Amino acid sequence: MTADTTATPGPRTLTRQRRRASAARFWKQYRTHRAGVVGLAALVLCVLVALTAPLTVGADVRSVTDAPGGPLESPSARFPLGTDQFGRSLLGLVIWGSRVSLLVGLLAAVLSVAIGTLIGITAGHFRGWYATVMMRITDWFLVMPTLVLAIALATVMSRSLGTIVVAIGVTTWPTTARLVRAQTLAVESRPYIERAKALGGGHWHVMSRHVLPNVMPLVLAQTTLIISTAILTEATLAFLGLGDPTGVSWGGLLQDAREAGAVSSGDWWYLVPPGIAIAVVALAFTLCGRAVESVLNPRLGVSR
Amino acid sequence: MNTHDLHGRGRTGPRLGRTRLLATAGAAALVLTAGLASPLVPAAPRAHAAEGTQAGKDGKDGKDGKDGKVLTVAVAQSVDSLSPFLAVRLLSTSIHRLTYEYLTNYDPKDAHVVPGLATKWEPSPDKLTWTYTIRSDSKWSDGQQATAEDAAWTFNKMMTDQGAATANGSFVNNFEKVTAPSPTQLVIRLKKPQATMTALDVPIVPKHVWEKVDDFSEFNNDKSFPVVGNGPFVLTAYKPDSYVRLKANKDFWRGAPKFDELVFRYYKDQDAAVAALRKGEVSFVAGSPALTPAQAASLKGEKDIRVNEGPGRRFYALATNPGAQARNGKKFGDGHPSLLDERVRHALFMAVDRKTIVDKVFQGHAVEGQGYIPPRYPTYFWEPSGNRRLAYDPAKAAELLDRAGYRANADGKRVGKDGKPLNYRVLCHATDPNDKAVGKYLQEWWGGLGIGVTLDCLDNVTDPWLAGKYDLAFDGWSVNPDPDFVLSIHTCAALPATPKDTGATDNFICDKTYDELYAKQLAEYDPAERANLVKQMESRLYDLGYMNVMAYPNAVEAYRTDQIESITTMPAEAGNIYGQDGYWSWWSAVPADSDDSSGGSASTGVVIGIVAGVVVLAGLAGLFAMRRRATAEDRE
Repeated sequence: MTADTTATPGPRTLTRQRRRASAARFWKQYRTHRAGVVGLAALVLCVLVALTAPLTVGADVRSVTDAPGGPLESPSARFPLGTDQFGRSLLGLVIWGSRVSLLVGLLAAVLSVAIGTLIGITAGHFRGWYATVMMRITDWFLVMPTLVLAIALATVMSRSLGTIVVAIGVTTWPTTARLVRAQTLAVESRPYIERAKALGGGHWHVMSRHVLPNVMPLVLAQTTLIISTAILTEATLAFLGLGDPTGVSWGGLLQDAREAGAVSSGDWWYLVPPGIAIAVVALAFTLCGRAVESVLNPRLGVSR
Repeated sequence: MNTHDLHGRGRTGPRLGRTRLLATAGAAALVLTAGLASPLVPAAPRAHAAEGTQAGKDGKDGKDGKDGKVLTVAVAQSVDSLSPFLAVRLLSTSIHRLTYEYLTNYDPKDAHVVPGLATKWEPSPDKLTWTYTIRSDSKWSDGQQATAEDAAWTFNKMMTDQGAATANGSFVNNFEKVTAPSPTQLVIRLKKPQATMTALDVPIVPKHVWEKVDDFSEFNNDKSFPVVGNGPFVLTAYKPDSYVRLKANKDFWRGAPKFDELVFRYYKDQDAAVAALRKGEVSFVAGSPALTPAQAASLKGEKDIRVNEGPGRRFYALATNPGAQARNGKKFGDGHPSLLDERVRHALFMAVDRKTIVDKVFQGHAVEGQGYIPPRYPTYFWEPSGNRRLAYDPAKAAELLDRAGYRANADGKRVGKDGKPLNYRVLCHATDPNDKAVGKYLQEWWGGLGIGVTLDCLDNVTDPWLAGKYDLAFDGWSVNPDPDFVLSIHTCAALPATPKDTGATDNFICDKTYDELYAKQLAEYDPAERANLVKQMESRLYDLGYMNVMAYPNAVEAYRTDQIESITTMPAEAGNIYGQDGYWSWWSAVPADSDDSSGGSASTGVVIGIVAGVVVLAGLAGLFAMRRRATAEDRE
């Protein structure tokens, strides 16, 4: 580029171009991971199904008073996955349940990663007693069994979606915090940070303008991986009866099945579809996360 | 799992809330176990571990141990206390029925009063002095004779010691003096006539053992075994939430039980209990509170398993907070003010389709709710007639709400006097699937009226319940052949003394008309007249609209016919087995000849274990291979 074009549009255009180029590069590399592409395809499909659920199955699928079938009917042409104990179509419920499961998974993962990033960056940036205290707290959460802590939280708070999100979010952040802190330390030891400081860059400037963009890829990969954990945890909590009792989610369906005695009665169609759905979505997120990770992780990337 | 104490309490005692609380303490841990144990091979390893410890105990006891015929019953309810002065839950009181004699018992056929420890009883002409003849052929398990002195001591203790009156105090409130002029004669003097004198459901304990107890409110009777008793079984071992073991009392005056041992074993997960029944590890599953329709249906076709269904003793109701108050007149809690309006309560009542609840939630394993006392007790059963009946009629309900001034706003939501949309919090037991299921229906029925419903499902409903912090709540009680107790919990006298206390009240109802009728029925010795008064009370309760009895759930239970040849149901025709008014079922159970299933089940367990292990190993190997491939890919 010539000097005069850079003069007027300024660095912003340059940045944009650079970002676009790196996104394209990212996608090109991502495409080479077959598992990652399969996972992404599965995810897109799931999200589409969840988003279009009001059009395809409709909110009425949850209604118990207008349930179309008899209790616990086995799969048939009318009900491809059979019915639950109220006579509702399980196919519809599984589709509708994807909304809650995906939503909770996403929100909880975002919350978890947000907490982790905040603590990780600050602990990596401010050394000294602050970092020590923060890291000890992180260690404490790290050694606490996540599920037990989440159960305790979900028990004391009221039963709702928000509770589940919070319970998962505040219990799964420590790994992110550790990872981000390590990356922050690595970034901050680079010379340009010193230069930025010498030019008068304050804490906020360094953290938000230099450290954050550099840890972002890591955070992104971590988010994708945590989503699958969050979905599994949500299902577990709902299965243990700690979810919203009137909502429909995959874990909640499993819990309903257990309470209806479907396990010992051999009514497999009540258990298998939500179970498979959970497994597929969690797997899809993991595949994506792994692919993103290996594209972004410099060490793996270089050797390629 | 904890539902039995709320629905299944057949006994007098303090309020149901408290028992629920006890049942659910440590909820997280329980939930965790339930959850972890529930997948497909649930019970085998745990059950066998338990068996191991029990075998050890047997060795120590050095008695009949493994050779005898053992009847194993799967239960889910925890024991609250083994002290007869404290226990109120169904399981604990059933154990007391088995280990201590009561003065009287109920006939298994039709529940009329039959002799227990007393062979005869006679009131004086003024009906204020009752003389009981105590049998001379009942011995305590340590060899001493059971006498009238023991009975007199038991009652006197309850009259003088507040701690000993915890569970059954209501029986002795009206006692003036209890004496034992001779070892076979017990005399009770009353202050006022009392209709429950032949239905004193109080376990009589041995004086020579219990007089050493210091603090009755603390002593749980679970330290030294075997526990001295004179019932058909003797309590020999107990491990909290693991098992309760009873040995047959060969000298029992009515005849020795046919089984040598009775074990109540814990299965927190009902599916696990059903699986154990299929495998023959347990002989009997009661369900908590009943087997689910799906379980009952799948067990019906099974070989060697019989599903028994009988009319339940319970009612299943929706209780409305009438504005919690204490005896000193202090109001507390935060029940919705609109519920103080009888028209609103009736509207809510009329928007509940009880028939659908029976058909869909209970799938026919229940009877549609009418009055307060279940039809199992025809003497006291009452049903509303004609236009007093609050039948399902959403249109009329909407009209009632309109008349009461709760009109719908532009969004179709009914608005309260404070201008906010009506939204009721319904307290439900997280442990009872029926609560959640009915809650879903309520949400839609009342939502149709424009009223919001928030289902508050808690493991421990007691705290908000005692504090009056609810609008409506799922409620249920087991009813005894003598209905005095379930009627007493709606009197003003049952309210807590101050907001901080715990009263015997169920739902803070306090109604003068009802109280007057209650006093009248308690003093009425003529059975027909008393039944009439009880029906009037039920009618009054119905009209008040605080208790919407939705259903009378059936008892649905199952047992193995290759382990139990016969067992007495109560009533004899189509009755229930677990939680009877008496010890009939376990006392009468006859072992079947081929009672050798534990070996078979052990091998099944092993096979399943091996298969599971192989699957896990295969999975791990696959995972490992994939990982190796993945890293190799990364490295190339």
